[in-house]
Order: sequence, then C-alpha cells, then structure tokens
Amino acid sequence: MKSQVDKKKTTESKKGNKAIGKTSSGDLKYALLPVITILLFLFVWQLLVMGGVLPDRIIAKPTDVFVTMFRKMTDTSPDGATLFENIFVSLQVSLLGLLIAIAIGVPLGLLMGWYPSIDRLVRPLFELIRPIPPIAWIPLTILWIGIGVRARAMIIFFAAFVPCVINSYTGIKSTSVVHINVAKTFGATNFKTFLKVGIPSAMPMAFAGMRIALGNSWSTLIAAELLAANAGLGYMIMMGRQFVRPDIIILGMITIGLLGYILTRIFARIEDIVVRWRTL
Amino acid sequence: MEEQLVPQAEKEPISIKWVLNKILPFVSIAAFILLWLYASSVNSRLVPTPAMAWSRLLELFSTPVGNENLFGHIWASLKRVFTALAAATVLGITIGVLIGWNKAFRATVGTLFEILRPIPPLAWLPVIIMGFGIGEFPKVLIVFIGAFMPIVINSYTGIRLVEPLHIDVAKSFNANNRQILFEVAIPSSLPAIFAGIRNATSGAWMTVLAAEMIAAKVGLGFLIQRGMDYFDIPLILVGMLTIGIVGAMLAVLTGWIERLIIPWNQKLNQD
Repeated sequence: MKSQVDKKKTTESKKGNKAIGKTSSGDLKYALLPVITILLFLFVWQLLVMGGVLPDRIIAKPTDVFVTMFRKMTDTSPDGATLFENIFVSLQVSLLGLLIAIAIGVPLGLLMGWYPSIDRLVRPLFELIRPIPPIAWIPLTILWIGIGVRARAMIIFFAAFVPCVINSYTGIKSTSVVHINVAKTFGATNFKTFLKVGIPSAMPMAFAGMRIALGNSWSTLIAAELLAANAGLGYMIMMGRQFVRPDIIILGMITIGLLGYILTRIFARIEDIVVRWRTL
Repeated sequence: MEEQLVPQAEKEPISIKWVLNKILPFVSIAAFILLWLYASSVNSRLVPTPAMAWSRLLELFSTPVGNENLFGHIWASLKRVFTALAAATVLGITIGVLIGWNKAFRATVGTLFEILRPIPPLAWLPVIIMGFGIGEFPKVLIVFIGAFMPIVINSYTGIRLVEPLHIDVAKSFNANNRQILFEVAIPSSLPAIFAGIRNATSGAWMTVLAAEMIAAKVGLGFLIQRGMDYFDIPLILVGMLTIGIVGAMLAVLTGWIERLIIPWNQKLNQD
C-alpha cells in the first residue's frame, strides 16, 4: 500500500516534510539505500577482479580506473588528447546536433500533429528518413563530408530529430478533446487552440521525446566516434581497445555515462520547470 | 472551424481541399526525387542516380558480397535483433514495473540501472569484444543492452504516470496493492510500455548495424561498411534503403502486435 502514491508523496514531501516528521526516518532509509548499493557494487567488482574471477586484461579494477582518471587529465596517451580535451570535443559535437534537432524537430512534430495538411506534406519524407537509423548514415556522411565535427553533428542530428518529431506529434494528437472543446466554446480560433491547449498538453510527451533524443544523440555520438573520428571519448575508448588498456576503456565508459547523467539532470531540471503542472 | 477536428474525407468527399490533401504527399516525394536527380547530374560519383542504385541491387544477387546475397544479410541482422528483443522485452518490462512500483527496488536496482543507463550500449562494444570476441553472442548482447534500456525506462515512467484518481478508486474499492498493480497500474501503463518497445525495436535495429559495422562478416551493417571501404556509394544506398525498409517493417510489426494487445489505445494509431 505504501508505494503507489509515493510519487505524489515525494513531490509533496519537499514542501511539507517538516510538518509530518514521521516519514523522515523512511526517507532517510531510502536516501541511504542507493549509496549502499553503489558501494557494494564497487566493492564486489574490485573483489572479482582481484580474485581473478574477471580477467584484468578485460576489466580494470575500480581503483585502477580511479588512478587513471587523474593521470589522464594531463597524460595524452594512448589517443593523443587529455580527458578534458576529449570531453570538450564530444560535448561540442553532440550538443550541436541535438540543439539543431530540437529546434527543427519539435515544432515540426507539433505542426504535423495539429494541421493535417502539413502532416500530409511532410509525412512521406519523414517516413522515408525515419526508419533509416542514424548509424546507417555514417558511411555516406564520411564519403560526403569527411570525419570532421560537422559530419558527426549531422549524424547526431538524424539520431535526435526523429524522436523529437514523433513524440511531439503523439503528444499533440493525444490532447484531450474536452480541453479542445472548451477552448472552442470560448471562441478560440484553431491557431489559438493550438497555441494555448495543444502545445501545453503536448509538452510532457515532447519533453520525453527530447529526453530520448538526448540519449540517442549520446549513444550515436559514441558510434560516430568509434567509426569516424580522430578525437573524443568514443575515439578514446576505441584506442583503449587497440592498445589493450581496459582502464582507459572503463574510464571512457564512466565519463560518457557521467556526462550523459549530468546532461539528463540538467534536462530534467528544465523539464520540471517547463511542465511543472503535469507533476503536481 | 469545426471541420478541422472531423476527418476531412468523411465530411466532404470531394472539394478542393480534399483534392489538395490527396496530392500533398506526392508533391513532397516529387520534389525529393527531382532534387536527387539534380544532385546526381552534378556529381554522379558522389550521388548516384536511382538507376545506378537499382542495377547495383540486381548485381548484389548475381555476385554476392561476403558469400551472402541481400536476403542472407537481412536475415543475419534480423536474427540478432529478434533474439535480443525477446529477451529485452521480458526482462525490461519486469524490471521497469518493479522499479516504478516498489520503493526499495527503486532504491537498489533502480540505482544500479540509473548508473549503467547513461552508458550508451555501443560504449560496451570494446569491452564486450575484448571479453567475448566477435562471434554471434557478443553482438546479440550489445543489441540486448540497446533494447533493454528504453523498455525499462518506459515501463517505469508508465507506472509512475498512472492517473492517481484511478488508483484512489481502486483503493476505495478495497483493492490490495497487488490488485492495484495488475489491474490498474500495468494496464494503464501499457501504452507507455509499448512506446518503449517501439523505441527498443528501432534502437535494436540501430545497434545491430553499429555492431556489424565495427566487427562482422555478414549483415546489413557490414554491407554498408563494405560500400564505404570500396567507395561503392550505390551499394551504400542499397544498404540504407534495405535497412530503412526492414526497419519500417519491424515498426509495422510492432504496431500490429500493439493493436492486438492494447486495442483500447487506438486513438494514437489512427491516421
């Protein structure tokens, strides 16, 4: 019985926690559990590698990765760039592709969902591009543009564009008919209903789409960098594999994961602000 | 204004608007083809004409690439995707629902999932190749990782976005936690879960290509990679088109299954 409304409870507890008082011990338990889980995970991992269950040619110890992290901040081997240089290159490429995709994809999806004629005009082309995974563009992009920042940004654009369109479209399509009718009853024009009713009620879905886009662009970035790059975190991992440096590979994976996480958190904060009415 | 909400075709069978709506899809397709033809007339080595791609497609059957014709490559990729998807669906829904429903589970497994989740499936590739080689299993494993994540995320989100009113109603009728989960929460989150499966399918299709492009001797990803290595752009186009068509068919297939299992969610499937 305790869990089904806990989402509401957590949002409420931010405001009214002090007054209730009784839930704080439970909150503390659930605040500690994740920390314990992570520590246990790292501990078991360390033990497995040290005990030889996992071969250290493939998996590096957490402590080794930790040491490598500090060394890599100044050391450029084996891929010719420090950690921060790689991070900068990867962030630059993925954010560029992502932002262009959001700027084009979300409005397009909203318009397609609301206006049937725009839907009819754009849909054939969209359906043509949509099923082609961004990674399949890599060979063509390399031969056409090369392996520079623009080429990788273009691949990421394709990755992020499709979920932005689809989710905005689905979101605005599932606008409550009652709300639309209310707007019409009060004499709103179709365009005004689109702006004041359609877009706001599509926002939760649109943001879910952007979240998917963010994830896609990150994972595509890695593919793009594994296949077509001379710098970046994916390239660093690839070099780690070629030089049999599991610590570099795992450091790369963790960095990618961490950056992805930070980006998601930043995004979630934005989402909370923009679609606050949905969660309350 | 009213007719905007009713499908045009039903209300006024033949009018200028209706005709325009019928023509619009062809306008964009025609514009696209004209653009393509124009580009290939400028540089046919970089942008081959549709005819060149077509003859390359026929050639693919007479002289197979990598000992397989086109269907062999399609089947090789599909087999990997289906195996991984089946495993990911079963495990992903279970874990996603548990994370969404149970607080302790969210604090433990959910945390680990949150840690691993931001790591893109393809970033596992080097480790998996080092650990398992470049055989069939490592590729399926990569695809599994790629398909697993969206299913878990959507099941979890679906459970958490269940209308609180519905849960309250169930509680008023003295439903226990288990009944609320299986009869209210899961059914109402099925649309979200299926959205996750749809994402997983396209994700799996993408991941398999990447895995094949990096290390494989058969499959569509291998095909386009070969096209790049040999500067054979018609082959890349054939590969991309095939990838697109098979991917679209996969999406249609998921749509059918979705309609079969959650027919009440038809609103989103119209049009």
